[in-house]
Amino acid sequence: MSEPTPPVRQAAGARGAQADAARTNLLSGLRGVGELRHLGLFVALALLVAVGLVTRPDAFATASNLVSVLSLAATIGVITVGATFVIIGGGIDLSVGAVMALASVWATTLATQSYGPVVMAVCAVLVGTGAGLVNGLLIAYGRLVPFIATLAMLVAARGLAQRMSDRKTQLVQQPDNGAIVSLSTTRVLGIPLLVYVFALVVVLGWVVLNRTTFGRRTYAVGGNPEAARLAGIDVRRHTMLLYALSGLCCGIAAILIMARTTTGSSTHGDLYELDAIAAVIIGGTLLTGGRGTIMGSILGLLIFTLITNLFILNGLNTSDQLIAKGLIIVVAVLLQRRNLKERAP
Amino acid sequence: MSENVARRGFLVGGAVLLATGCTSNEPAAAPSSAAPAPAPAASGNDQPGEKVVIGFSAPAADHGWIAAIAKNAEAAAKRYSDVEFKPVEPTNDINQQISAVESLIAAKVSALVILPNDGQQLNQVALQATQAGIPVVNLDRVFPDKLAYRTWIGGDNYGMGVAAGHFVGRKLKEKGVSDPVIVEIQGIATLPLTQDRSKGFADALKTYGFSVTAKQDAKFTVETGNQVATSLLQAHKKIDALWNHDDDQGVGVLAAIKEAGRNEFVMVGGAGSLNAMKEIQSGSSVLQATVTYSPTMASSAVRLARLIAQGKGMSDLVENQVPQSITLASETITKENVEKYLPLGFES
Amino acid sequence: MLVMRGIVKQFPGVRALDGVDLDVRAGEVHCLLGQNGAGKSTLIKVLAGVHQPDEGTITFNGAEARPGSPIDAIRLGFATIYQELDLVDGLSVAENIFLGHEHARLGFVDRAAGRRAAREVLERLGHPEIRPNAEVGRLPPAAKQVVSMARALSHDARLIIMDEPSAALAHDEVANLFRIIRELTAQGVAVVYISHRLEEIREIGDRVTVLKDGRTVAVGLPARDTPTSRVVSLMTGRDVEYVFPPRSSRPPGEEVLRVEGLSAPGAFSGVSFSVRAGEIVGLAGLVGSGRSEILEAVYGARRAAGRVLLGGRPVRRGVTHAVRSGMGLAPEERKAQALLLDQSVTANITLGSLPGFARFGWIDRGRERAEAARLADLLDIRPPDTERPVRTLSGGNQQKAVLARWLVGGRRLLLLDEPTRGVDVGARAELYAVIRDLADRGIAVLLVSSEVPEVLGLSDRVLVLREGTVIHEGDAAVLDEHRVLDMIMEGRAA
Repeated sequence: MSEPTPPVRQAAGARGAQADAARTNLLSGLRGVGELRHLGLFVALALLVAVGLVTRPDAFATASNLVSVLSLAATIGVITVGATFVIIGGGIDLSVGAVMALASVWATTLATQSYGPVVMAVCAVLVGTGAGLVNGLLIAYGRLVPFIATLAMLVAARGLAQRMSDRKTQLVQQPDNGAIVSLSTTRVLGIPLLVYVFALVVVLGWVVLNRTTFGRRTYAVGGNPEAARLAGIDVRRHTMLLYALSGLCCGIAAILIMARTTTGSSTHGDLYELDAIAAVIIGGTLLTGGRGTIMGSILGLLIFTLITNLFILNGLNTSDQLIAKGLIIVVAVLLQRRNLKERAP
Repeated sequence: MSENVARRGFLVGGAVLLATGCTSNEPAAAPSSAAPAPAPAASGNDQPGEKVVIGFSAPAADHGWIAAIAKNAEAAAKRYSDVEFKPVEPTNDINQQISAVESLIAAKVSALVILPNDGQQLNQVALQATQAGIPVVNLDRVFPDKLAYRTWIGGDNYGMGVAAGHFVGRKLKEKGVSDPVIVEIQGIATLPLTQDRSKGFADALKTYGFSVTAKQDAKFTVETGNQVATSLLQAHKKIDALWNHDDDQGVGVLAAIKEAGRNEFVMVGGAGSLNAMKEIQSGSSVLQATVTYSPTMASSAVRLARLIAQGKGMSDLVENQVPQSITLASETITKENVEKYLPLGFES
Repeated sequence: MLVMRGIVKQFPGVRALDGVDLDVRAGEVHCLLGQNGAGKSTLIKVLAGVHQPDEGTITFNGAEARPGSPIDAIRLGFATIYQELDLVDGLSVAENIFLGHEHARLGFVDRAAGRRAAREVLERLGHPEIRPNAEVGRLPPAAKQVVSMARALSHDARLIIMDEPSAALAHDEVANLFRIIRELTAQGVAVVYISHRLEEIREIGDRVTVLKDGRTVAVGLPARDTPTSRVVSLMTGRDVEYVFPPRSSRPPGEEVLRVEGLSAPGAFSGVSFSVRAGEIVGLAGLVGSGRSEILEAVYGARRAAGRVLLGGRPVRRGVTHAVRSGMGLAPEERKAQALLLDQSVTANITLGSLPGFARFGWIDRGRERAEAARLADLLDIRPPDTERPVRTLSGGNQQKAVLARWLVGGRRLLLLDEPTRGVDVGARAELYAVIRDLADRGIAVLLVSSEVPEVLGLSDRVLVLREGTVIHEGDAAVLDEHRVLDMIMEGRAA
């Protein structure tokens, strides 16, 4: 789907051969490869939109459909932002879905609900951050491999969520705690509040990654941990904070899922880790760390969400949807590898 | 069926009370008098009898319905002083369930109640139990080999679809809608039970000249229910009826409907959870009915296991022994009869 | 034997090879000279089958040869020893040597045969002490180099390409390397030898080809007789070689670093010394003498007993504290230990001092860029575009970026480990001048180098290390290379 990207760059290379004078311009152009890579994602997104317009002209291009796509993307989108940080930082967090489920369950227990919506939200965020912090401590100071530590957290958090909820779906009490649900039902300019929350998290994530020392260090820690250490960065502390950040995002996502489904449940967020990681990879972030963008991850996620939307709009079944998603992951990674090769002379 | 069980439970319970004072027969005495006089067991099935050990194995609860199954089985066993209830650790792993059942066989229980993770794959171990002389009560998911079990009791998936189809069909005929948009939200599409439900729904609708416009599967969880419903509501700007196979995922479906502010259609649920019943009771919800697939079947299964182990029959029936197969009817709960069902609703 | 004509290789935006000619005769050591970025590495990769040339012809023993893949190249009889060792860290020495052509029977690896063969090759290389079973990742750089050579030998190659083989080797090991090379050439094997050390080329080389900007500028110069000035001017257009800047006439300032009784088991023991402001102190010694390890211990990157004081105050253990108290390290392995290759020059320069450019964690990018540009200009980092990824820079310019990192925000002590490793002659002189200039600005410098002339020429004072202990400390100006070599190799104190 991102096919057009490489030819553009090859063309750029060919032109560079023609005129020496043009070379400097081209080099600065080449630096834009980061944005060019997103071009592929935009093209993919545009293709999907075109498919939608052709197959369901009546239902697809409506404002309410686009809003609902964004609402659907919001929960996992918030998680994807956190996952992008962790993966750029050279790690992986498999526990995101389970931690979100745990946070949603903890926040909807009758005991928590009796304190009102604000405490519920704070509870979700604290539980998420706390679980992330545990991940971080185990990985940074306990020297566990991220894959193993977060896998353990996945299993344990899901179990704890089941234990707390007694495997029941816990309803958000209305009207007392309706404020939580109103995140989904209240609209400003026709868009539900939770989409704004999503947008805010994305913008904040972008700012932190690109404009702060924390973000810069994330790239350093992921790209070359030894170099980061020798440059005086406390790599372990930073690693721990990355996982805590991912947990924080899970906590926020838990609030959104409670708003959307009006429940807290141990079944929430099943396989979110795979969707989040897939979105991050499609977005061009290297699993080995050190490179990647929030923008790419969000585009990757929107591609996924749009596919689901298109399949349902056209009444196709979920199995084909999974095949389509699998294909997209493979194509995206193949294209990425081409990018890498061409970039390193 | 839950209605029947409840009523019988109530009546039989009453009989126990009476039995302490007098030895009156069950109210339905007519059939028994017409048949050759059965063993004394015909009356007072609930009176303590021979001590029996009932083994119980079911999948781990990842869903309100399964949770209710385990809870109901245990509650049913507790009612009897002559039953020792032996549940094994619930699991979603076929292998573990096989070894759990094997351990129950080794412990020489008097009867087994098994809700298998997969009927095909547990068939062999059930056969082993039967060959070891332990009667097996097969709950819901059926073993393919009839030699493997003594009695099967379970819900009627096809019948659920039929009940939902009839409710929808009647409602739409009343409104005089022609060519209606009917949407179906399934559970896990690959399961035979889902396919049975959908077929029953389609077949019943056909009798009214209707058909399903769109269907989509939602994996039985609140979250996926919400996601699928959100998109389906976008796909169809005007819907006349919606059948959601499962009340657990229905919580998410209802949230999506409320979020979209839609109320132009009739919604029917499935299974019969407490939440769904309360929605129906409120009268203000799009959810106007749900068709049962009640986890009370676990209570009945334990009772059947006890009767089989004690060599008793079902006192309402003429036969001396418990029947080989019992298919529960799927009932339709609406605002009119919901009161009666509320005590049977399971918490999702 | 090998003839290359008009080789052109194009990368997006870069013409790495722009018409290269090369003639290599059987049994000769053919030296390839050129500054970093002149195209040597690309040329090697063409021979190794990694890159395919866009134009030009390669003939080998009269037949057209076009290695389309590394496997093709090996089949043709070309073996390459890269500058960045391409070994698999997790495998054993023997497994690395025979990687891709294992001793196998019916698909099962015959490990014993592999080990025997590995031992033979290692003995032939004069390194019987390297165990075939040892894990490569745990070996010191010099031993890795030997393993890498052993791999090339194991292929029975007829043409061996060596990219800076001596860079990681100590003096006696270089002699050993030369012995091996002579043995090989005596058997008719041709060697393409790349090095920045002109004295080595004079010793081992037969003929020299000089590359500049992707073109051949001189073919087949006699290695021994061509005047250095001519070679250097061919490479750079300037006539320089090992030009050390004059030492400062001012007396050194107050003591910046004091090390007392620093010991780490197995690496070094009882090391005490001090470095003053404006002073360059050099550590000379063989690989394994503890020189790099001492640097790491001072920096807090390695556990050691003893005391490290900076400006009279003890430094808390840990790199973070070392950096906070004003130290900076340019580590031995630039790419693995210092650089974020995909990040911009700017990001690499400011990595060690980010908080200085940030308020409440928010980076002032304008100020950051301005400072990076200033330093890039000061150290003459080329190309002067600081937004390029560091990966695209030559070795010398990468090293400058690492040095620039520690010029931000007033360092008091710089620890330099092999600052000119893999850097061409012209860039070396510049780096020397930069380092001296830093000292003149009042920074204390502790320098480690495997090249004795560099230590002697650049330092004010020299500590000579042997087997983890300081055997001599003295004024650099009064020592000469010969005496220092005597001390570090023979253990004779001056």
